[in-house]
Amino acid sequence: MDNMESLWDLFQKKNVSRRNFLKTCVTITGILGLSPSLISDVVSAAERQPLVPVIWLHGHECTGCDEAFIRSQTPLASDVLLNMISMEYMDVLAAAAGEPLEQHLQEIMGKYNGKYLLAVEGAVPLNDDGIYCMVGGKTFVHNLKEVAKGAAAIIEVGSCAAWGGIQAAKPNPTKSVSVSDVISGKTIIKVPGCPPIPEVITGVIMHYTLFGQLPPLDSKGRPKQFFGNRIHDTCYRRPFFDSGMFVEKFDDVGSKAGWCLYKVGCRGPEAYNSCGNMRWWNGLSYPIQSGAPCVACASNNFWDNDNFYERMPNIPVPNTIANADKVGIVAAGALTAGVIIHGALSTIQHKRHHQENDEPENDKK
Amino acid sequence: MKRVVVDPVNRIEGHLRLEVTVDETNGKVQDALSSGTAWRGIELILKGRDPRDAWVFAQRICGVCTTVHALGCLRAVEDALGIEIPKNANYIRNIIAATQMVHDHIVHFYHLHALDWVSPVAALKADPAATAALQNTVLEKYHMDLKGPVEFDSNAYPKEFPKATAAYFKAIQEKIGKIVDSGQLGIFSAQWWDHPDYNLLPPEVHLMAVSHYLNMLDKQREIVVSHVVFGGKNPHPHYVVGGMPCSISMNDMNAPINTERLAAVDTSINMAITLASYFYVPDILAIGELYVKQGYVDGGGLAKERVLGFGDYPEESYSGTSNGDFHKHLLLRSDGIVENFAQGAEKAIFYPFEAKDLTDPEVLTEGVEHSWYGYPEKDVDLHPWSGVTKPEYTTPKEGTKTDWKYLDENGKYSWIKTPKWKGKMAEVGPLSRYIIVYTKVKQGIIQEPTWVEKMMVDQVDAVSKLLNVAPEKWLLSTVGRTAVRGLEAQLMAYISKYYFDKLVNNIKAGDTSVANMEKWEPSTWPKEAKGVGLHEAPRGGLSHWVVIKDGKIANYQAVVPSTWNACPRDSKSGYGPYEATMMDTKVKIADKPLEILKAIHSFDPCLACATHLYDTSGRQLAVVHSDPYVKI
Repeated sequence: MDNMESLWDLFQKKNVSRRNFLKTCVTITGILGLSPSLISDVVSAAERQPLVPVIWLHGHECTGCDEAFIRSQTPLASDVLLNMISMEYMDVLAAAAGEPLEQHLQEIMGKYNGKYLLAVEGAVPLNDDGIYCMVGGKTFVHNLKEVAKGAAAIIEVGSCAAWGGIQAAKPNPTKSVSVSDVISGKTIIKVPGCPPIPEVITGVIMHYTLFGQLPPLDSKGRPKQFFGNRIHDTCYRRPFFDSGMFVEKFDDVGSKAGWCLYKVGCRGPEAYNSCGNMRWWNGLSYPIQSGAPCVACASNNFWDNDNFYERMPNIPVPNTIANADKVGIVAAGALTAGVIIHGALSTIQHKRHHQENDEPENDKK
Repeated sequence: MKRVVVDPVNRIEGHLRLEVTVDETNGKVQDALSSGTAWRGIELILKGRDPRDAWVFAQRICGVCTTVHALGCLRAVEDALGIEIPKNANYIRNIIAATQMVHDHIVHFYHLHALDWVSPVAALKADPAATAALQNTVLEKYHMDLKGPVEFDSNAYPKEFPKATAAYFKAIQEKIGKIVDSGQLGIFSAQWWDHPDYNLLPPEVHLMAVSHYLNMLDKQREIVVSHVVFGGKNPHPHYVVGGMPCSISMNDMNAPINTERLAAVDTSINMAITLASYFYVPDILAIGELYVKQGYVDGGGLAKERVLGFGDYPEESYSGTSNGDFHKHLLLRSDGIVENFAQGAEKAIFYPFEAKDLTDPEVLTEGVEHSWYGYPEKDVDLHPWSGVTKPEYTTPKEGTKTDWKYLDENGKYSWIKTPKWKGKMAEVGPLSRYIIVYTKVKQGIIQEPTWVEKMMVDQVDAVSKLLNVAPEKWLLSTVGRTAVRGLEAQLMAYISKYYFDKLVNNIKAGDTSVANMEKWEPSTWPKEAKGVGLHEAPRGGLSHWVVIKDGKIANYQAVVPSTWNACPRDSKSGYGPYEATMMDTKVKIADKPLEILKAIHSFDPCLACATHLYDTSGRQLAVVHSDPYVKI
């Protein structure tokens, strides 16, 4: 954002004193023919750095990622929208519609060429020349390519933009692809999730506004601070996995006791996301805490990893900490053996728990 | 005569295009066209999948009305497989659905609709002290003291309450001023702020409403705490076929649901009641009254002729939907069709909607005359279970395949089909629910109203008294459609509380079951089964239709509220609700059709829901997912 420095930034760079800066502001006030009472306003305007302009486009999506964005508590969406960025184009929240909105988009693209952040929500349908998603009378793929040209960086918000998402699941009727499949030569950040955790979306934006640069990314382009661990590694139910204490079917004794959901299909061991540590609503819960197996909604192609309730056959051995680049190297045979042992242990644990628990209504159906 | 295009329509879910032809001499809309401009094919993607997974896919039809398609899907699959969910699961699903409704309505009004009515620029002219005084008046005059039953009243006092001090409004005004001065207007950019309709309200109403826009933006997330506690997240909380995954135990420290978890839900429901009662309803009535008193009661459209509903909120578990048991348990009996409400509740004509109507191939159908799909037999509409969708894209009237100028109102122009009840189109939504219940109670069709139905009638009568206008005059308008959504938010907040009380009482009685797993294994399922799931979603009556064969989904179809409302015209049945409403709306300045946006936004459009693709030709998918981890 080099070209968007404030006047005060320029003075500081040139080692000109604060006193001189204020003098200049007084002069500007005079030149503009403003009343001297407005000097302080001019000073604050000269100090103020323009907010980062953001353009947010929608392709094939469900608007769940916008909804996630406004659910953020830290920072609040109102603070992001009014004090951290300038959301110049986002049809979901924009006051304007149609032609004036499209006109404004053109103006912003010209005025902030090379400087705006582009957030994209949704996949890009390519079948039949892209006619399955038309915005403003033109194809979404056309609009995306136009807007991407002048973007400083692109954020793929959600699994649809990052991987293609649900519409790209078999048989992918509209031939939907991710943003990075059609845009190249730009820095692209993947923020996957269906939707991403609200504070992950706003966290990426806030990182950019706080530190003036994009957050460090992993080899797949995901911010490491949000996608550096598997849910399995940060899951509060992990000790039950390690002890072989599993939910065997929904609402059984292990389900009530909050044991590991691996055997009912939990994808935590392959899911890189912040659900385990950050959780949703600033620590309130996440699917596993609410008794539901993770479907790995931030993973590539998770939709075709069904059935969701079928247990994963291959899983890294307990007590390992693997990162995205290393996982999958581990030999499957050894793992399967480990899992079988776990299954046996779990049955024993179930019996023990049942005997110890003398509250019969707990197990009633 | 001028043809004006609005595309993209803003502040909605999905992609919608409007084209209106306005007679500039009198502001009359001569023709209006509504087009869904995208489809994703989720129903086709669902084919061949495990029915137990289907809700995860169906849920992604929409993330704004998140969860409603999961519920519709679960109900359809459970209907097909003959699964009755436990009492607690029914209560919890009702809490999730009702809190979703409150949330969806509040976000719709403040963040997706308010800027058609109020302007941050106009708010700059307000006197903060006068705004504080106005806030007091609004609370005194428009607070509606109607309540639902509350057994365990844990709320000592209203925690969220509108601030009515000059200093507060001054701070907000200064912030807006700074944004305007900076030239970076962000989301407030490029709107027709000079449109004369913004002068219908005094500056103080603008400042109050813009402040509430910001308040509600910060608060709305807390309304759906129930989704995060029971379903683990929002949008898109988790369920399980047969009930809920969130087991209840007071004996286990690590249980998904225990007292502390219930307390989090309870506190959030209390807050939802407060937000609806002290912000939403008073705001909407204050603005609505100013509009109605200045004669703005247009935009009724098709609601004057016909509205439709399915009913919802089963008091207790039921054995199925297509067998009629769902309809025997409803707390909100908005099932039925009302015609001619424009003549008043007494003269309106009521038709029941019964379980047999769901399976009768002649009652509910979809047509494709102006939709980009082809049917095997021209002019023969099809029932959802036997429908066919073959994409048949055509070029626009002017422009090219990939660059439109004007769509062709005489040809095909939308990815939305045209759903019909007995060959006729109908409006669905909060307005329809209120009209149906009001008519049924006033005509004595409902002899003993439930507390929900009584509260709905009381709300309508209270507003009619306040406005001193008959219900059919104010309800059947853009203002009415908008105001009823606020009334329904208040109602739904109490419905959440009602089912929370039932949940607590049932746990107290010793029942902690949340999932019926008797028919979890596909070996227990019939070889072939059909099911339908109904839900009164925020935008209206929703139906999901599933055909299961050999343990897999053979066909899937969703007829959603915005399909009913946003559908294209039909040569036999006339205009759909969006188009009829636009033609019932006066436009002051053809180039700035703010009134059209306001009218269409009053439906709360949800376009990703409305447009869909499915294929019922019986074609099997090539890949059978017997082992998902073996990739070919």
